[in-house]
Parts: sequence; structure tokens; C-alpha cells
Amino acid sequence: MKQLTIAHVVVITLTAVFLLVALDMAGGLRTDRHLWVPVPAAATAPPAQAAPPADTEKGKPPPHNDKVEDLPEGKGREITFYTCTACHGVALIKAQGLTRDLWDSTFDLMLEKHRMPPVKPAERAEILDYLSEQFPPRRRPRGGDNPFLK
Amino acid sequence: MRPSEPRNASRRNVLKGAGIAAAGVSLLPAGMALAQGTAPAAAPKGPKLLEMEGKAKLAVLGDKPLVAETPAEMMDDAVTPTDKLFVRNNGQVPDITGDPKAWKIKIDGEVNTPLELSVGELMSRFPNVTYQLMLECGGNGRSFFTPEARGNQWTNGGAGCPQWTGIRLADVLKAAGLKSSAIYTGHYGSDPTLAGETNKPTISRGMPIAKAMDEHTLIAFKLNGKDLPLIHGAPVRLLVPGWAGSLSTKWLNRIWIRDKEHDGPGMGGFSYRTPKTPIVPGSKGNDKDMAILESMPVRSVITFPADGTKLASRKIDLRGHAWAGDYDIKKVDISTDYGVTWKPAKVDAPPNRFAWQRFTASIDLPTAGYYEVWAKATDSKGVTQPFAAGNWNPQGYGGNPLNRIRVLVES
Repeated sequence: MKQLTIAHVVVITLTAVFLLVALDMAGGLRTDRHLWVPVPAAATAPPAQAAPPADTEKGKPPPHNDKVEDLPEGKGREITFYTCTACHGVALIKAQGLTRDLWDSTFDLMLEKHRMPPVKPAERAEILDYLSEQFPPRRRPRGGDNPFLK
Repeated sequence: MRPSEPRNASRRNVLKGAGIAAAGVSLLPAGMALAQGTAPAAAPKGPKLLEMEGKAKLAVLGDKPLVAETPAEMMDDAVTPTDKLFVRNNGQVPDITGDPKAWKIKIDGEVNTPLELSVGELMSRFPNVTYQLMLECGGNGRSFFTPEARGNQWTNGGAGCPQWTGIRLADVLKAAGLKSSAIYTGHYGSDPTLAGETNKPTISRGMPIAKAMDEHTLIAFKLNGKDLPLIHGAPVRLLVPGWAGSLSTKWLNRIWIRDKEHDGPGMGGFSYRTPKTPIVPGSKGNDKDMAILESMPVRSVITFPADGTKLASRKIDLRGHAWAGDYDIKKVDISTDYGVTWKPAKVDAPPNRFAWQRFTASIDLPTAGYYEVWAKATDSKGVTQPFAAGNWNPQGYGGNPLNRIRVLVES
């Protein structure tokens, strides 16, 4: 009786092992069959978490959105914000320090080279007033402004 | 050719696709965090730092489009690690799906046989080469101009020198057969414009055929031995070392061979051009009197110690990198007394042409107290760095004044 039990245990164990191996080879026990390298159990069974971002977002910079308030207060802030940030961020505006003349040519650059939609003259003037008041040259040459700069 | 990863291993990575490349770089953050932890404490008021998988905490100059520069002390590695390489986008990052080896690039225009080749065909048909090559934004150093010039306010961090693997553009152009009318290239990538258009180029610059035929001008598919990350142009980009980075088109899909100077967005006007006749700083300038910026100018960056370091000792083992576009560095001089006296640094040979060169100097400051340490590189033509950014231009190209750091020796 006792010997029979041991034989049974051996047979059952072997059968179980065979079954497990067969199941495993058939892919029934692993969800990561596409990976060649066995992965520790902890790594294959992550806790439930938010769905991963869409594949096309992988490797891209995090999304970025500015608010009107990211620009300093002043007359013309809203129109400047909505005109400029249709394409680029507020940080680019804030990094500039230009005379009205150069802000004016920046406007031309955006229209001619960066396909900015046309802006009405009155709006252009309002935006230029805002930009040249809020973001004038900050780095001043030694000895004051350049004597040749009108 | 320099050693890189076993060819087979890297090919397998390519097969797995861009998704796996992204997963590969995701292994970095732990190490990055460690490196950041050991860095000197950041100044209380500093630039916004980049938070992006696979990238170190670079200084963000703009979020839309993403533009981020490498702080000087992060330019200390002999070979720029991928996570520390600067980022300069002009438009949006394209969706790249499917098998990267199936991605196609077109060579057309003034060629005998227009080609349309997949990345897989490019990789197998032409010799694969690996070099350590400078990539530098055309506007690097713009923040040194007075008054401000228009654009992203780079210090010296729009530059890096990682290892690139690819094929020579010259080999592809030879296969297509250049007509005698071929004088210029025009490059196109797949990045949508900031407004989201995908049918118009965001930027399209070009170069004279001679530069295109240089053996170091590559169509690159690997960065530091791994598949190009998406943010750096996957699956393939151009790498035109020593010239403005805007020529090194990311997400490359077409090279148009022209019978005249290319005229895509980014050519002409004040873009990547400097005045032939010097103009009054801060003035509008004359777009009819501008010349294209070709070779980048000579530049040096002290990478150790960091600007603003408090030192316990008067002895400094200073390190840095210097480079000069198409040219080599002949010497780097160091001053600790505002240029009154100079001492030569030791300058290492570059591993290959178009790679930056390490300079080192042992400095013994005479007393405790506040010092500026200045570095001034001179290239193989004898051209050196000016004391202040010169030849002011509306979009601020060529700003390469000598490099200065500030240190405080505590007594």
C-alpha cells in the first residue's frame, strides 16, 4: 500500500511536470511569449495602472500648454497670446528683448517664413505695442545704447 | 571606423522597431537621477529643467517647439551620452509607426538615377561607418550678443559630440550619379509644422555638394550604438558635422539635388546668415547683404569646474572641450586674471575629424577669493575667440566669445 502510494506520487508529479511544461511551451502559462528572455514574475504582473500612452506618443516631449496669464499683464496681452501661441510657446516670446523695429521685422518673419495667417493692421499695431513695451532690449551695451542706433 | 556594438545585435534592435528603442532608453532614469544627485546644488533661480523620459535635466529654452540646451558641466563626458545631447526642434515630432527599416528616403533632382531606398536597403547596400561627430545648433552662443538677437537664447549648450553610425551621404549620391548641374542639396524631414501641417516643410535647408560629399557627412541611424531615439530623428537623420545643426535634418525623407542654391524655409533672409558688411547692433539689417553661415566658429567650454563652484583649494584641475566647425583646435589658453596673462592648456587630438577636443589645465590660484577663469580656443587657421560676440546680426549667429566661469576659493 505504502509503496503503491509512493509510485502514485511519482507518477502524478511527473505527469504534472509534463503537463506544466507542455502548457508552458504552448504559451498557456506566459503572457509574454514574444520575449525571448524570461522575465521575473514581479515584472510580468504589474499592478493595475493607467493605460499606457498611445504608441505614437512614445518618445515625444511631454505636451505643453500655455495660458494667457503666462504673459505679463498689459494692453494687448490677449490678442498677442492667441496670435502667437497658435504656433509656438510663450517661453520663446519671453526670451526676446527687441526694439519695436525688430519686433516689427519679427512679425514679417512669421508671416513670410512661418506661414502665420494674415493679421489686420490695427491688431498688428496692438501686438507690436505690447511686445515692444513688455519685451524691450534688456542687455544694454557698456556706455549706454548704441550711438548709431536711431 | 570606430568600434560599436556587434552588428547583429544592433540590427536586431532595428527590427524590433522604434518602440523598443524607446523602451531601451527608459532604462536610463535611475542612473540619471544618480548623476543629478551628485551634481552641485542648482542655483535658486535657474532655467526650467527638462522632464522627459530618456533625457537628462537639460535647460529648457522653449517648450513648443521643444528646445533644450546642455549645461556646460553636463558637457564633460568625452563622448556625449544620448540623454545629455541637446534638443532643437523646429516643428512637431512626427508619428513614426511601422517597421523603421521600411522607412524610405528619396534622392531626386539633378541625378542620373533618382533613388527611393528603404532604411534597410541603405544599411545593407552601403558601408556602415561610425564616427564621433559634433552636432551644433547654428544659433549656439546667441545669448552672448548685446543687445539681444532674435531667437532661442543659447549659451554654449546647443552642442554635443556623440558617436554616430550611418552611411556616407557621398556613397548614396554616387549611386544616384550626380549630374554636372548638381551644385546644392535640399533636405526634407517629416516633422509637421507647429501649426500641425504635414504637407509643408517645417524647415528645409541645404548645403553645397562639396560638403555633401565629405566622408563625414552621414545618413545616420544610430546614436551611441543604439537606434536613434525619436526625439533625435528616428529612424534616420542627416548628420552634417561642423555646420549649423539645421542641416542635419531629423526624420529625413528626401534629399533634393539642386542646380542652384536651395531656397526652402530656413534659407535666405536673416536665417542662418550673417552680414557681409557689419551692421549697427540692434538694427534691422539688410537681407540683401547677408552670407550663409557655413562652418561653425571656434568655441571652448569649461566643463569642470562648473560656473559658480565654491572651492576648498586654490588648485583646480580644469577640463573642457573645444571645437571649430570644419577645423581643428590648435591651442586653448587659460586666464585667471581677466586676460592680463594667459597660460596654454593641454589639448588632446580629436578621435577623428569633426570631433571636439579635450583640454585640461592645472591652475594654481594665488590667493583665496573670487576669480573668473577664462578659456580661449584658437583653430588651425589661427582664428581665435573674441572677447565679446561680434558681427551682430538680427538672428544672432556666430556668437562665440571666450568662455568664462566664476569660482570662489574659500579661505
